[in-house]
Amino acid sequence: MKRKFLYVFLLLALILSACGVGQSADAPAVVRIGWGASPDTLNPGNAILAVSYTIFELVYDSMYDLNLDGTFTLSIAESAEVSDDGTVWTFKIKDGLKWHDGQPLTAEDVAFTYNLYLNTPEYPYLNGYYTTYFDSIESTANNEVVLTLTEAIPNIESQLVFLYILPKHVWENVDKLEYENFEMMGSGPFKMAEYVQNEFVRLTANKEHFATPPKVDEVIFQTFDNQDALVQAIKTGQVDMITEMSNTAVANLKAEANVEVISGAPFSPGVTDIIFNQMLPENCPVDEGGLCTGHPALQDRNVRLAIAHATNKQQLIDVILLGLGTPGLTLIPDGLGVWYNDSLVDYEFDVAKANQILDDAGYADTNGDGVRETPDGSLPLTFRLNWPSDSIDTPRMAELLTDMWKQIGISLQPQAIDPDALTALCCPTFDFDIMIWGWVSDPDPSALLYVYTTDAIPYGSSETGYANPRYDELYNQQQVTLDFEARKEIVWEMQKIVHDDVVYVIPYYAQSVQAYRTDRFTGWITDQDKIELSDVSSLVLIEPVK
Amino acid sequence: MNRSRILLNKAAWAIFTILFVILLNFFLFRVLPGDPARAGVRDPRLKAEAVEALRVRFGLDKPIINCFDSLNPIQIGDCGVNPLDTQFFIYVRNLLQGELGFSYHTNRPVAEVLAERLWNTVLLIGVGQILAIVLGMGFGIFAAWRARTSIDYVAVGTSLLLWSLPTFWLGILLLFWGSANGLPIAGKATPGMSSMPLLQQWGDIARHMFLPTLTYTIVFMGEYTLIMRSSLIDVLSEDYILTAKAKGLSAFQILKDHALKNAMLPLVTVIAINLGFTVAGAIQIESVFSWPGLGSAIFEAVVRRDYPILQGAFLLIAVAVILANFLADLTYSYLDPRVQAE
Repeated sequence: MKRKFLYVFLLLALILSACGVGQSADAPAVVRIGWGASPDTLNPGNAILAVSYTIFELVYDSMYDLNLDGTFTLSIAESAEVSDDGTVWTFKIKDGLKWHDGQPLTAEDVAFTYNLYLNTPEYPYLNGYYTTYFDSIESTANNEVVLTLTEAIPNIESQLVFLYILPKHVWENVDKLEYENFEMMGSGPFKMAEYVQNEFVRLTANKEHFATPPKVDEVIFQTFDNQDALVQAIKTGQVDMITEMSNTAVANLKAEANVEVISGAPFSPGVTDIIFNQMLPENCPVDEGGLCTGHPALQDRNVRLAIAHATNKQQLIDVILLGLGTPGLTLIPDGLGVWYNDSLVDYEFDVAKANQILDDAGYADTNGDGVRETPDGSLPLTFRLNWPSDSIDTPRMAELLTDMWKQIGISLQPQAIDPDALTALCCPTFDFDIMIWGWVSDPDPSALLYVYTTDAIPYGSSETGYANPRYDELYNQQQVTLDFEARKEIVWEMQKIVHDDVVYVIPYYAQSVQAYRTDRFTGWITDQDKIELSDVSSLVLIEPVK
Repeated sequence: MNRSRILLNKAAWAIFTILFVILLNFFLFRVLPGDPARAGVRDPRLKAEAVEALRVRFGLDKPIINCFDSLNPIQIGDCGVNPLDTQFFIYVRNLLQGELGFSYHTNRPVAEVLAERLWNTVLLIGVGQILAIVLGMGFGIFAAWRARTSIDYVAVGTSLLLWSLPTFWLGILLLFWGSANGLPIAGKATPGMSSMPLLQQWGDIARHMFLPTLTYTIVFMGEYTLIMRSSLIDVLSEDYILTAKAKGLSAFQILKDHALKNAMLPLVTVIAINLGFTVAGAIQIESVFSWPGLGSAIFEAVVRRDYPILQGAFLLIAVAVILANFLADLTYSYLDPRVQAE
């Protein structure tokens, strides 16, 4: 019986597969990309997810392009000039730029767009962060945009790079908050063809693009809810490239003929951090709901230093990431290139030294239970360890850390907590001892440097409660230092300060892993500091394998 | 009690239950810790004003409810607030006007998102259920008729095995098998098919549906076979079946006119319950095959604290479950007139 039933299904399968569309010789070159996500919205103002920005990068142009080595180049403007006091920028927009519908793109569109972002406080990023220093924007008859800032800033490029230029003739007639922007009228190297949320995004090439006309005809991003299916899809040739995979699949996929697996710093570098609640009781932000129940021992640099020496980062990388990561130092990841202070020397893994530090500081195990007590003998060094329950890797890290730190007489009480509930415990509540969490970095370092500042405590961005007037002063200084080398010096010094103070232990910077089929398209960019095959840089270069 | 009284009674209960769900729905999600305005955006760069603007936009700046001391024992809400300017009142008022609100995460109308997803789920589960019912009933009847023969043992053994298979595991196995045989393993259509003739589009959707539907059918078929078989064996041992045999009726006539209708009752119950709950989407099957159904929408909304989507989806599920049970009640009284008398 069962057999017959299977045959019926097999027969059906055969009939159905026969309905498949045949490939003809002059078929358009279609790049099929598999990813585990879908844009939250196509309205750039409302968007939060990084994958939405991937689509914006392809369909829109902006004032600057962000290159894979972390540098910027002017895009739609032929020149950028700044006044002597650094507050007035004049951009000469290139002539002859066109929207996908053929209408001209001019300085008027740019000024309209910047004003739209500036005047819409409901846009979380494009208003909330990137227009912070905007005062006014005007366009001139000479196809120029004049941007006046409230103060001179060193990083105008990173402020403008995600401010995608929108067509005035479309956006002046729509509700800027409710507009879903499914048509996505843009000017970039790809045009929006079809979008079905949680299924796919289909883009066609804009062969008339002024700078980078793509060589392929179409790009399709298909959503996979399941990582095994993603890997299976590239193996069987259902997709030509995948933007992510679980590290466990890497070895298996590397063995596959016609599939090339690459890894490197992600386009938006990430950092995993072990957070010590070192909030001093007198600094507790009570008005903002601060409870500040942290273990007092963590306010002692010696304890944090001992923990740093007792943490085997290479083992964490090998076990958790299967080797696909680099040891971390501070919140500024190596993927940020020049901003990353590579002259810092990390605390070596040395359990004996860690034990010595604790012995010298007076933390002894007086009752012989294997756990040290504070010097006054009142409290054991038993810490709560929490992490967001949606993290797949962290339970393993918690287990490893428990074993590692046991060697120095520190015991942990590990518990995963719903990410939202964890936010409530974290900041500015400070109702925890140690947490494992992470950040994704902006191209400019100042966003993550801010996390260490005293200002960030009441607002809830500071996770540690770290307060250091010297650091705060340097933070403010780098915000207004226009000279690149001088600013870099300051940013490097700030990293040295927080590393010396052992504010965090940063276990690693995880790498991103992607794969492409070698028998379909050639020309993927894989030799840069960062890898991102779904970035516009690769997608306008690749061409079909002959 | 006559039939229409019973119907009215049941309908009244159904409506009451739905009203209760509407209330529960609202408060259930708001007791969760956390803040939807920040759930998607944990970012040090975001200014406090930006978070506040989001809260105002979603109406989260308003109090959840003003206080009614007797109705509000846990004391959420603020006594000094105009009851008409609370999240709860606005929710109820919008609902009465048929407005489900906007998703926090995608900024799209909830009704639009749910309608898209519901259709996909109904398509997958509708076809899967029909196949499972037809095949399950068929095998069940056959096994019962040949009870205690080797055919019966094979049928029971296989059904038990299928019923106990973990859905996602079976799904993954079929996914590997299917992808090796050129079947699509994600989504419900090939991107770019929408410009093709309608017949080709349907063929494409059918190809995409094949693996998830097969998984669904296999998982539910075993259950239906077992229930149908045991219920029919019970009925076949009744005296009136003996009488029918004595009258010289053929096996087919006995089954069709005397046994089947009575043996259907337990199966109808199970099918009704399954139908109601599976509107929630076969979450596992949907996530294995990236099928854009309701189940994955709900999962995503929980992660992102997308209250409007959750409220809408839970209301939809509640209505579906209640409706399915209501229909099952109606079917009972058709299948077994004794039910009416109770």
